Amino acid sequence: MTESLVGAPVRKHDGDVYLTGRATFANDISLPGMVHLAIVRSPHPHARILGIDLEAASLQPGFVDALTGEQAAESVDPIPHALDPANLGGNHADVRCLALGKVVYAGEPVAAVVAATEGDARAAAGAVTVRYEPLPLVLDAEEALAEGAPLLYEEWGTNVVIGGSIGADDFDEVAQSADRVLDGELRIHRGTSAPIEPRCYLAEWNSREELLTFTGTTQNPHPLRSTLAAALRLPERQIRVVAPRQGGSFGLKMYAHPEEILVCVLARMLGRPVKWMEDRRECMLAGGREQVHRFDVAFDEDGRVRALRDRAISDHGAVAPGHGWGMAFVNALTIPTGYAIEHCHVRYTVVATNKGPWVGVRPFGKDAAALVMERVMELVADTTGLDPAEVRRRNFVPAGAFPYVTSSGLELDSGDYVGLLEQALERLDYAGARAEQAAMRGEGRYLGIGLGFELTPEGGDIPGALVGGTDTTTVKMDPSGLVTVLTGVTSPGGGNDTGIAQIVADAIGVELTSVTVVQGDSSLCPYGFGNISSRSLVAGGGAAALAAADLAERLRIVAASMLHSEPSQVAIRRGMATLADDPSKAVPVPAVAHAVYTLGYILGPGVEPSLESTRTYRPSNIRHLPDEHGRIQPFSTFPNALHAAVVEVDPETGIVELRRHVVVHDCGTIVNPGLVDGQVRGGVAMGAGAALGEELSYGATGSLLAEGFKTYLMLRASDLPPIELEHQVTPSPFSFLGAKGAGEAGFAGALSAVFNAVNDAIRPLGARLDRTPASAPNVLEAIQAAWAG
Amino acid sequence: MIPSRFAYAAPESAEAAVALLAEDPDGGRVLGGGTWVVPELSRGDSRPRLVVDLRRAGLAGIRARAGRVHVGAMCTYADLLASDVVAQRLPLLRIMAQGVTGGRQILGQGTVGGSLVAARPSSDAPGAVVALGGEAVIACATGERRCPALELLAGAMETTLGQDEILVGFEFPAEAAGVGYVKLKRGVSSWPIATAACLIQLDEGGRWSSVSLVLGGVAPTPVEVDLGGLLGTEPDGEAISAGARLAGTAVTEPWTDELAPGEYRASVAGPVARRALELACADAIGRKAADGS
Repeated sequence: MTESLVGAPVRKHDGDVYLTGRATFANDISLPGMVHLAIVRSPHPHARILGIDLEAASLQPGFVDALTGEQAAESVDPIPHALDPANLGGNHADVRCLALGKVVYAGEPVAAVVAATEGDARAAAGAVTVRYEPLPLVLDAEEALAEGAPLLYEEWGTNVVIGGSIGADDFDEVAQSADRVLDGELRIHRGTSAPIEPRCYLAEWNSREELLTFTGTTQNPHPLRSTLAAALRLPERQIRVVAPRQGGSFGLKMYAHPEEILVCVLARMLGRPVKWMEDRRECMLAGGREQVHRFDVAFDEDGRVRALRDRAISDHGAVAPGHGWGMAFVNALTIPTGYAIEHCHVRYTVVATNKGPWVGVRPFGKDAAALVMERVMELVADTTGLDPAEVRRRNFVPAGAFPYVTSSGLELDSGDYVGLLEQALERLDYAGARAEQAAMRGEGRYLGIGLGFELTPEGGDIPGALVGGTDTTTVKMDPSGLVTVLTGVTSPGGGNDTGIAQIVADAIGVELTSVTVVQGDSSLCPYGFGNISSRSLVAGGGAAALAAADLAERLRIVAASMLHSEPSQVAIRRGMATLADDPSKAVPVPAVAHAVYTLGYILGPGVEPSLESTRTYRPSNIRHLPDEHGRIQPFSTFPNALHAAVVEVDPETGIVELRRHVVVHDCGTIVNPGLVDGQVRGGVAMGAGAALGEELSYGATGSLLAEGFKTYLMLRASDLPPIELEHQVTPSPFSFLGAKGAGEAGFAGALSAVFNAVNDAIRPLGARLDRTPASAPNVLEAIQAAWAG
Repeated sequence: MIPSRFAYAAPESAEAAVALLAEDPDGGRVLGGGTWVVPELSRGDSRPRLVVDLRRAGLAGIRARAGRVHVGAMCTYADLLASDVVAQRLPLLRIMAQGVTGGRQILGQGTVGGSLVAARPSSDAPGAVVALGGEAVIACATGERRCPALELLAGAMETTLGQDEILVGFEFPAEAAGVGYVKLKRGVSSWPIATAACLIQLDEGGRWSSVSLVLGGVAPTPVEVDLGGLLGTEPDGEAISAGARLAGTAVTEPWTDELAPGEYRASVAGPVARRALELACADAIGRKAADGS
């Protein structure tokens, strides 16, 4: 019997390297002559730069050099936008590696200082004097939309970065024939990605060869190379981007950050390697998620939702050249998630304010879509008196309806959302939990049960942008039979490299230990899009499987010659090529590999004498040509999950205790259960943390109040109950192996379920929370408002 | 990584530390456990020329003498937890130390004196030390001075210590009492939002003969709640509710920070106080029963 590696809970193939502290992260790298960069950041959220005095800094110990925005602009162009809003009808703003003329958020890079050590650089940066003329500031998206609001980019005449709508605007029409309508508001707070390893960049300029090597924390080496080339006015061929092992990314380490450019500019200027290590306070400048949603829902007495209208205003902060604003678009596109609501209209408005910019953050806008839809389901249940689970049951896309085209034009691949719900309710013992809730209310204790469905469209492929759902992998076997995989997808530490190794080992028929995976090197690996949109295993793994199959085919032909048989008779398993009809006849794969390279004229005259193949995997269900409604289909897989949370709220203090968290997850075929479970559990912890209190708050003067993990309260292990995780498998008919990806799993459903559970708990008090997070102060305020009202 | 350069000294006595500080006109930064000062230096929020580390100054002792207990300023939370004297004579300090956030690293690094001198409102130790009637022992140029622990605290992040003064430790009366300590925080990683430390003694008839209730975290400095009016009453639900109400109204200047606004802290002061009173009463009654048997 064949033991398949795909589907097996194989441990990370390099787990020992991490566990024993031998893993090399960017900041572990030191080069001869290397100097350190520190960045002078604006203390003002909005100000004109009047002058920069570097004199005092230059007298500091270890000082090497410094750079202002004006100096940088002489040799460096604005950072090209990864997704320029102007290309989609929005506004364009030049963003440079150092501010030129004025700053638009507190923390914006204003000058760069290089010194002998990291400490010297920071001390010298502290000695730079910048004269500012403070300007009026705006820290709230709705205020920024008001007439006469201060403008971040005066030439626009507005603070709107981009706006648009998805779906037909027919709510009022449909609502007329619906039994009821309701409206609601949801305020979502600002959050961030907070990986354990902040960003770190190291640039080295080889002046003899005129080659730039950039080594650092990036999810996307090749697109970053394109970005560096454009900003630095260098041909791409003169740049190599290397991404060493990483301690998480979660969107933060996508490309087009000012600091990526800065290390390169300075390395070229100084002829010495330059390193920058971000500190936690700097890392916290990357924002996301902050939105206000106002929605109207038309529904019938039986709980079926007929139409939805949602107006989303996103508080983007300053413009950045990265992908951040795209989260508002993906948010709109993802609504109505997995519910069969034919009439949905979502208008999104992305607004610039004087805060740190949005930077991609897991799960890239799909979180707000889930939260809105799950609030809608709860409110419909509230109004109709139906059970919230029943309302969902009646609205889910039925299991037999796939592929299903949503009102936004997404073509959902496969699924059984009702199945997820039933499995989750059974695991929870829903009836038992409701009974316990009723009993505890009798004792003055407030238990809440919340459900949260998540749909995470993945494999995003944005037309015209270096954000692709395809990817390319080379698989090669050397004459000793060892396999090297070079792929354009990268791993942020989650371990997709192990999954890809499993796929290749299976496809060729060799042991996992004979497969090495190389990622994150723009000079070694085929052009690829890195790790984004949970597509690494589907795209990189799919391409690897195609390439590995090419190798296997050649090996079988040559092995057949060696065994005096036919290729169709040869099976390769666990490193042995064996004849199916006579297992005693076998030859080890290394001998076959050696023969391909050395005995091709005898054993394989019709076979290319090489064991190397490069293939690209392209999902078949992406559609960039608009349909008759102007809709495109930029995602290829649609993993989903249903969460059920049980909380207890202390009505005197607003403290929320998460007592249980059940999640039933479906990412189609699972290549490595251990890796998938790790993603889901991490996502649940992140989503529950967002629900309960991780918050990037700004003070009235525009400075960020959250500057570390004592002021940005991530959950600790002991804040969480054991996560009760189960799987349902509905393979995608469109993807390689039926896999759908799991990199963004867990967050959106956990956020929604926990938030709904808190509302369920405080409902008997007459209280309702319409904003996240469900932190103790917010929950108590809602309870007190109910008492006062 | 600390960006600024500074001179480092680890004097071997409080007197030597005082002398060093007196010599530095700019004011050196004193290092207790370093859990606050080292991150502050790393962030570049302060750039002292001199850092005086008290780790070798011999201030980490715990001694019981003449009915009082002396706890050295440099005692770490782990020292408190390991001490039999603390367990038997100052159980409130032990309970407080058990609840300190930050795991073994902080327990082993943070000091009770450092916590008081950092004077952060959202901190565990100040409220407990004040509730225990701690008297601060301070080394100064003229030798030694003493003051009630609360007088050591001038405001948020502010003490009454002179620039050349060192907190040596605290002396506690350490009388047997029922103990209650309640800490409210937003999650495992959160600083305390509100604490209530309570010590209760009962007379022969089981009535309150002394009550000490101190709220922490809710105001710039710990708030002593005057429950004198309840002395002589039965420690029943009604009395406890009365005490909690007094606690709620005692917070006249609530503390606001990134984790919670002042309104929230003022709102939870009463409930937190009530829970501490309940625990202390139950403990006092339990002790009395144990003494009587």
